[in-house]
Amino acid sequence: MRCLDLKLAVAAFLPVSAAHAAVLIEPAGIRIQSPGQSQRIILSGGSDCEISSGDPAVVQVASNKLVARSPGSARIAVHCAEGSTETTVHVGETGSAVGLGFERDLLSILTTKGCNSAACHGSPAGQNGFKLSLYGADPRLDYEMIVNSQAGRRVSLDAPETSLLIGKPSFQVAHGGGQLMTAESDEYATILEWLRQGAPYGVSGIRLERLEIHPGERVLEGPGARQPIVVVGHLSDGTTRDMTAEVRYSVNDEAVISVDRDRGVVAKGAGMTALMARAMGKAATSQFIVIDRAHGGSFDYPEPANLIDDHVFRKLRSVNVEPFPLIDDRTFLRRVYLDSAGILPTPAEASQFLSGTASDKRADLIDELLQRDEYSTHWLVKFEDWFRNSQYYSQGRTNGSFKRWLHDSIRQDWAYDETVRAMLTAKGDTTVRPAGNFWHPAIDFMLKTFEVEKAVPTITRLFLGQRLECAQCHNHPLENLTQDDFYGLAAFLARTRVKHGYGQYRRVWYDDWRGEIDHPVTKEPVPPQFLDGERPAIPAGTTRREVLADWITRAEQLQFARATVNRVWSEYFQRGIVEPFDDFRSTNRPTHPKLLDALARYFIDSGFRFKSLHRLIMNSKTYQLAAHTPDRPGGEHPLEDALFARYVPRKLPAEVLLDAISQVTGVAEEFKNYPPGTSPKALIASIGATHFLTTFGHPRRDIMESRSNAPSLGQALQMMNGDVLAGRTSATGFVLDALLEQGLDNREIVQALYRRAYAREPDQAEREMLEAYLAAEIAAGRDRRQGLANMLWAILNTKEFQMNL
Amino acid sequence: MQLSTMRSRYSRRDFLRVGGASLGGISLPQMLAASRGRSDVSCLIYFHTGGLCQHDSFDPKPEAPREVRGGFGTIPTSVPGVRFSELLPRSAANFKRFSVVRSMYSLEAIHEKAKQYLFSGQRPNNAYKHPVYGSVVAREQGNRNGLPPFVVIPRKDICADAGFLGPAYDPFIAGDPSAEDYSVQDLTLPTGLGLEEAQGRAGLLSALDARLEKLEKSSVVGSMDHFYQKALDLVSSPAAKRAFDLGAEPGRVRDAYGRTTGGQGALLARRLIEAGVRLVTLFHGGYDTHSDNDKSNKKLYPEFDQAFSTLLEDMDARGLLDTTLVLAMGEFGRTPEINHSAGRDHWPGVFSIAVAGAGVPGGQAIGSSDAMGAAPRERPISIEDLGATVYRKLGIDTHKEYHALGRPIRINDGGTPVRELFA
Repeated sequence: MRCLDLKLAVAAFLPVSAAHAAVLIEPAGIRIQSPGQSQRIILSGGSDCEISSGDPAVVQVASNKLVARSPGSARIAVHCAEGSTETTVHVGETGSAVGLGFERDLLSILTTKGCNSAACHGSPAGQNGFKLSLYGADPRLDYEMIVNSQAGRRVSLDAPETSLLIGKPSFQVAHGGGQLMTAESDEYATILEWLRQGAPYGVSGIRLERLEIHPGERVLEGPGARQPIVVVGHLSDGTTRDMTAEVRYSVNDEAVISVDRDRGVVAKGAGMTALMARAMGKAATSQFIVIDRAHGGSFDYPEPANLIDDHVFRKLRSVNVEPFPLIDDRTFLRRVYLDSAGILPTPAEASQFLSGTASDKRADLIDELLQRDEYSTHWLVKFEDWFRNSQYYSQGRTNGSFKRWLHDSIRQDWAYDETVRAMLTAKGDTTVRPAGNFWHPAIDFMLKTFEVEKAVPTITRLFLGQRLECAQCHNHPLENLTQDDFYGLAAFLARTRVKHGYGQYRRVWYDDWRGEIDHPVTKEPVPPQFLDGERPAIPAGTTRREVLADWITRAEQLQFARATVNRVWSEYFQRGIVEPFDDFRSTNRPTHPKLLDALARYFIDSGFRFKSLHRLIMNSKTYQLAAHTPDRPGGEHPLEDALFARYVPRKLPAEVLLDAISQVTGVAEEFKNYPPGTSPKALIASIGATHFLTTFGHPRRDIMESRSNAPSLGQALQMMNGDVLAGRTSATGFVLDALLEQGLDNREIVQALYRRAYAREPDQAEREMLEAYLAAEIAAGRDRRQGLANMLWAILNTKEFQMNL
Repeated sequence: MQLSTMRSRYSRRDFLRVGGASLGGISLPQMLAASRGRSDVSCLIYFHTGGLCQHDSFDPKPEAPREVRGGFGTIPTSVPGVRFSELLPRSAANFKRFSVVRSMYSLEAIHEKAKQYLFSGQRPNNAYKHPVYGSVVAREQGNRNGLPPFVVIPRKDICADAGFLGPAYDPFIAGDPSAEDYSVQDLTLPTGLGLEEAQGRAGLLSALDARLEKLEKSSVVGSMDHFYQKALDLVSSPAAKRAFDLGAEPGRVRDAYGRTTGGQGALLARRLIEAGVRLVTLFHGGYDTHSDNDKSNKKLYPEFDQAFSTLLEDMDARGLLDTTLVLAMGEFGRTPEINHSAGRDHWPGVFSIAVAGAGVPGGQAIGSSDAMGAAPRERPISIEDLGATVYRKLGIDTHKEYHALGRPIRINDGGTPVRELFA
């Protein structure tokens, strides 16, 4: 029976690529708590639609929402010109408010706002008689202090708005700590609601478990385009609640869209941004892309070479962004040498490749490079950065063996899940069982004990791409990551031990048969618990670490593979599909979720082998797009970097730059205690490495950080005046002396230097400029060698030399 | 954003022209100087690497048992009722020029963490590394007179860098000025290379780079350009050269500071501040007296006393003290009780610092410690409070937040400026 039909004007929010989309009604799976409540809906993918309820006595269709009339279920059908769809809506019997609790909801606010930090009320003396435990370490005491002490002057249950607890931080009452929140903030609303519920300690009633925002992603065409949004809360009683008007919205890039709870999203300018909705400590995000048809036209997209191109070009097509042109063989040559092996092609290698005629010579070159030892030493440095192989922790005795072990893993292309399991479960003396060095950054080097709190975030960031360090001290303000998650994971390491053996530099790792970790708040031992909430049984004869290692590397849950491929991807493209590459969060979405999963599956199917992943990436057309192009109709597009429409130019890492300088000048760098000709990549790095290397971003590896590749004044001064260049002009083997000895003329020398430094020939303009420069140098009284040396200095200082393009 | 502004305002052509003519009079530094922060207050940190002993310096405990008060006596200062250790006679005489805080406390007892804490005002954590004051100043106020905004003497320290702000705000390392053949690394042109020749090759470099002009929109390229400009300014700036040239000081002045790392370091620091550097940190090592405390302090503290007193007198005479905040401090204090090796170990419970300049009223002993010099008795001052004081003196908003690593990070975690240090 169809009692009420309603035509909805959905054309205004049709997705741009309507051809791909089916008719869709969002949200699905609505379970309204009780009669009288309603749920907003969005239709997409259709025009001229009719929406009807199978049982209007249960659910009635009104304007853009569904209204619950009585308990039961009703089928909601949508018929559009393009097709039909339907969804079932359930209505429950009774409703009750979502409960708030002190520990879960209030403490996280006090902590994120710094109220209980050492400098404020968390200090031993408190502030003005109001004292909290440091970072909420003792919630019971804090609850007493807030709700009951001083005759309850901090909370007023009769008139919640007048409570000092919200008046102070919002500065409605003078507060020594300043204004920490506004009366419009989420936090304020949460505290006020908690007071209205009677300031309970524990959560009574229903909890909000997660938020969902619809649509999850949308492309809008042109400024002014609109998109209604709907936010659904999933409650702990299994029902859903329309929270569209009860959440706080924020937009990452306000130049792209604006948002308003009544009017929805309005497109402002071309770009990509996340829209976030927050309430009661939960958050959800949706991705909006605004395109400007002015960029449009029918662009040419290269024929995809593999699955990477399928996904990247499809996305570019959907948002109407033109990829940069494909690069020529010369550009490819230098790029792929530097990215895969961290070296420059020699002039001989270059001419061999360039004169080759095979149609798949690029693929052949990639295969060849992946077999070279330079490939493994180049990636070894990255692995050392990831796993923080640092003298600081191992005091100089075993990071050499760890380095060799990692080197083997790359050279022999071990299955990465095995490598990771070996590290996570490593036992024994690290001089003979090097995998155990993985744990060294978590040793407190004064106390010589293993610090679980340091190990947990290292593991989650490296292997799951998740940052858990904040959750050590407080529940994540926007994510479902809590202190319980942190300590649940930490419990797997509660029996991991290290002892310091003979000669104090030796470390021996082992597992104790007992030992627990206490939750900092409850002071109770925490059972081992995975991040998904599962509490696994620990089989007899198995260590907790082994159970953890198996869970992390378990292929079917994809996250280990996702995190790993994303890390490798960001090495090639200077940003992850999730960016930052080790910060997967519900509020930090991948730009290409399907590509990410496809890469993860590919990696798993290849047996977790890096070489096949490298091969796939470097063979893609996406990787072989130009870094720059002289003619770009419509100018640069704000999305081209984020959507991988070009190769982002990058500075060479410290070791690669130094090797390249040695290669071009013919003079190797000398390192104390190492044989001549040692590459900086082979150094067993102590804190500090050398002046040049640290200035150019060689990380100390003392904390978790990615290597910085940012330019600095120190770098410019080094290149300008430092020994690394100046010292080479007088060293034996200096390239100019060899070239002069061969009797080459200036033109030939210029050509030779260009081939060495840039793997290309100088063009006419450059040739003339360089010759004019040399003539001027001679005229100024410099001898030819000095003039040429100055010229070489300029070449080595160009961005073209110091970057990969 | 700043970089792109710079680039558009001063085109490459201007760069070449100005760069090439900078000896002739037009100076790029002057053009650049105008574009940054307004604060004129600089900061000089004399750092006691290892931790200054409160008992042997600004907070002696003559009434305490021998194993606590140590082997040194006390002397009166220029302020009645306040006594210092006998190791600091000149500081005692100069007390009107500075104040001491006797109730500082830290929460970290390991050097690295305690230094990181002290230099940044933020307790170290496992999540990120906070920039130190010098890096924040560099970021917020930029350079002055073409000199690097943040300089460290004598060498790099793992607890004096820009952390998550990145290497662009790392300090410039000055080297050890007490060395016989002292010269600043990388600041002077390679031997045999004339300035005109260097500018010639820099001009060639610019011309070669122009081929990739199309790439200019990339932020890395823009920022490399920016630093090459600054490097060239620095190299060709007579002011910078002069600032680092300790040989320009009369021998008697160098002697007055003392021919030590502390003395010559303090003198170099003064020259750098005078020339336009915004924050200088001098690391003076040797304070970590786990054994033979008295023996090393007998030698070391007078070095500090001489350098610090001469510095204050000299800066005062030159009118620099009004616009320079001078801090003398270590990362923590030392154990009240002398250990079995006749040394004192790490003690964050309470320690003393000296503060001068930038409007700090002199002659005050702020706060106090207990009878053993073990804990604050009155007016405990946290490192966050010190941080808030430093930022306020330097004209930086203490409530400022950076957004890094996907989270907001406050530059100061709720400290309160120490009111006694403001006139």
